[in-house]
Amino acid sequence: MTIVPNRLGVKFNLKREPALAAADIVPIFQRWIQEHTVDGMLIDVIDYKHVPEGPGVILIADEGDYAYDFSDGQVGLHYIRKRNLPGILSDALLLVFRLALAAALCLEDEAPGDIEFDFSSAKISFLDRQNYRNEQSLYAALQDELSAILAEIYGGDVALERAYDDPRLSFALRVSAQIDSVDGHKLLARLSEGSPK
Amino acid sequence: MSTWKEQLEDQIPADMAVLIDTFEAQIELRKQGKLDEKVFAEQRLRKGAYGQRYDNGQRHDGVRTRELSYPSGELVKGPDTLWDAPGMQRIKIPYGGLTAEQLEVLSELADEYADGILHITTRQDIQLHYVHIDDTPDLMRRLAAVGITTQEACGNSVRNITACTLAGVCHDEVFDVSPYADAMMRFLLDHDDVQDFGRKFKVAFSGCAGHACGLVKMHDLGLLAQTREIDGEIKRGFTVFVGGGLGTVPQQAKVLAEFATEEQLLPLAQAVSRVFARLGEKKNRNRARIKFLVSKLGIDEFRREVQEELKTVPHDDRHTAYLDTLGDFAYQPAKAGMALNGTPLPDGFSDWYRTNVYHQTQSGYSTITLNTPLGDFTSMQGFQLAEVARRYVGDNIRLSVEQNIVLRWVADADLPAIYRELCEIGLGDAGAGTIVDITACPGTDTCKLGIASSRGLTAELRTRLIERINLLPDAVRELKIKVSGCFNSCGQHHVADIGFFGNSRRSGNHKMPHFQVVLGGQWQENAGSYGLAVGAVPAKHIPEVLEALTNRYVAERAEDENFQTWVKNLGRKEIKAMLQPYMKLPNFDDKPEYFSDWGDSRVYTIDDIGVGECAGEVVSLFSLEIARAESAHFEALLALDDGNYPMVDQQAYKAMVLAARALVRTKYLDVGDDYGNIVNEFRSRFYDTELVYDRFAKGKFARYLFKRHNQPPAQVGEDYAHQLIDETQLFIENIHSAEQRINGVIVS
Repeated sequence: MTIVPNRLGVKFNLKREPALAAADIVPIFQRWIQEHTVDGMLIDVIDYKHVPEGPGVILIADEGDYAYDFSDGQVGLHYIRKRNLPGILSDALLLVFRLALAAALCLEDEAPGDIEFDFSSAKISFLDRQNYRNEQSLYAALQDELSAILAEIYGGDVALERAYDDPRLSFALRVSAQIDSVDGHKLLARLSEGSPK
Repeated sequence: MSTWKEQLEDQIPADMAVLIDTFEAQIELRKQGKLDEKVFAEQRLRKGAYGQRYDNGQRHDGVRTRELSYPSGELVKGPDTLWDAPGMQRIKIPYGGLTAEQLEVLSELADEYADGILHITTRQDIQLHYVHIDDTPDLMRRLAAVGITTQEACGNSVRNITACTLAGVCHDEVFDVSPYADAMMRFLLDHDDVQDFGRKFKVAFSGCAGHACGLVKMHDLGLLAQTREIDGEIKRGFTVFVGGGLGTVPQQAKVLAEFATEEQLLPLAQAVSRVFARLGEKKNRNRARIKFLVSKLGIDEFRREVQEELKTVPHDDRHTAYLDTLGDFAYQPAKAGMALNGTPLPDGFSDWYRTNVYHQTQSGYSTITLNTPLGDFTSMQGFQLAEVARRYVGDNIRLSVEQNIVLRWVADADLPAIYRELCEIGLGDAGAGTIVDITACPGTDTCKLGIASSRGLTAELRTRLIERINLLPDAVRELKIKVSGCFNSCGQHHVADIGFFGNSRRSGNHKMPHFQVVLGGQWQENAGSYGLAVGAVPAKHIPEVLEALTNRYVAERAEDENFQTWVKNLGRKEIKAMLQPYMKLPNFDDKPEYFSDWGDSRVYTIDDIGVGECAGEVVSLFSLEIARAESAHFEALLALDDGNYPMVDQQAYKAMVLAARALVRTKYLDVGDDYGNIVNEFRSRFYDTELVYDRFAKGKFARYLFKRHNQPPAQVGEDYAHQLIDETQLFIENIHSAEQRINGVIVS
């Protein structure tokens, strides 16, 4: 059975640069804590928007962090699950996908028409160099299994590629659904059916 | 898949592996409730694993104080510090020196255990935030495998040893202090004589008197490079300063020795440590730094104590052995030095060149400073920078006390190319060492003691200053700003031209974040003088205060009058009058924005301030040492579970010796690590005197140790292993009881 990484992340990018300033994300995330808008035991908000192509503004939670993230030069919502991942890789991916998607949709609601995500593609990060070295051989060994899991998540074929060739970086993949458009709400509704908590 | 422990077994120095394994065992013991929370807290701090804000399980969300219900419930990793609460891991980088490989491993760890950010501190450490305590042993192993330790990064011990980033390449230095800082770090690390301090102890080295360099005058122990002719020979040595410090009661260090030779350096540092351990305050942590001891005794009496102590310091080959390897401390540039001539210059290069480039004493080479905003960089930048370093400078990377990254030994001809590459990875900002390059401690972002948002204010000031940096007169551009989130001075606000530290004031029924304005501190001459506090201003007014101050300075200063002199001449009364309009407190209904801090939308509260772990709990030396014995006993139990009986014997024997040592050291600090010596001392001091005798069993438990020591088993079977485990447990209990019985007679 494929080992579940210690940390697993999913990032959805925005379709375009929003008018909303990164500084405006801080009060939004602060309010999410007050109103418990997203899943998890929400702890605090930390602001790294001064760092170029960094994690931006992070909503820290016990189980996983939600970041309004600027990595790779693209603005997006990055959810990194740190603890309590299910013991089966497909369940773990489903959980992290679902929570990232739910948070991204919440963010869209904060600035309708301005904040819009492209849910047809995502970056998936396996933050665990003990078990997931960023090597082509590992990708080749896992490609079929991961494609199948992600096809299940998207409900259709997906294209998969390694996000980084550099072996020092974390093992990360870019997944693209091979369908015309992906409705985030419908995808979330489907993923929520029988999804692990 | 193998564990990190197994994977890195051959790469971790044996002594480091033991310390980390012991800590991992202590984590298990604490989880099982078998290790006292205060003792564990001190052990944790000594591994650099610090608490963070909200780790008491409470946070004000802007409306109400909310309970944070961590999964492990009531389990704590120290008083009021919940187990699952994210913590900070401080990582010692002696004199700020890093290799490309070390930078990569640090970046991996930020990725996998923290929030993807590496933070440079004002003492050349790296800090990772939001780290879970359970992840720390593997994190430490991965560091140890590349020669980095977190040992004694926090707690009441010798912290990171700092030095000037230009050491070895500076035009004005007497000699390169780097190898001396390195030698002292190795010598004092986990040394027996630095385990019983009442408070932390900070050491710094400087190569010259005139520049800021290592800031030796604000350190507990400061070493300033000097040479002197002795018997016709030029000898290297140091002027030794002692008792400096910032904090709530800033104090300039006093000269302990005008000149100590390089041979005298380590024994002198050891003697100072022993005096501090013996005479320093232990109960009142607010007066436990060595500066209070120096003040109390006076420098002359303190010096006499140190001289007397020097006579008792046991001979140690390491005192001078390092001198034979000084020559090994050669720098290896990646490229031959070559002048910059004729290469097309990229846009922005000239501004960057003016502020970020220092021409080394070695012809054809420069040192460049990477202006790192708020001391933060991403793990991705760390990987990218390691590549840049390999191509241009090799392993010549340093971290500065101004929270920047420094690359040394850049061939001048490469400056345009390296600038281009640094811009591509977001590290090519100009303005290093200028007014935009503001130093700030973590403040309310993550620190339990933070009162106001030092980083929020710094980010705001930085943004505003960068917008108009080219419009600022040189006299303003050259000023230094430093910001602390509270009076504890981690942002070093006392030694800035313009310093701020967080506090709060009440307006009506609400608290309002404020910053105390501190003016005229001196960065040069190794932090030559401290600034004056002139008044507390609402946080939201600070940008206007800065503008008013700098405008007036430019308008009124005499030609060549620096900021310190201008402040002194203007006088506190006049400055206070200038600040007065900004000190008025609006009420909440009129200006609610004043009741939130910079970068934080919540209504301000001081309810989140916790109890600092900076000093750690003052735990007796015996408690710390007996905890090591209990960890070894726990390792023996694990080995028993694995059926590894030889390991049971090894660990159980070690546990008994460590327990005996814990008791011996309450009477005889210099017992050392030799098992035979420890057993002999234990026998003569505690067994022959019947001090360890149990009321009923008499000396039976002590004899378990003597039996194992004198008759090591030829073969170790299961029955023997079980028996030895039980005997070890009884022996440790006996030591606990003995210590309690005789406490007050011989234990301080």
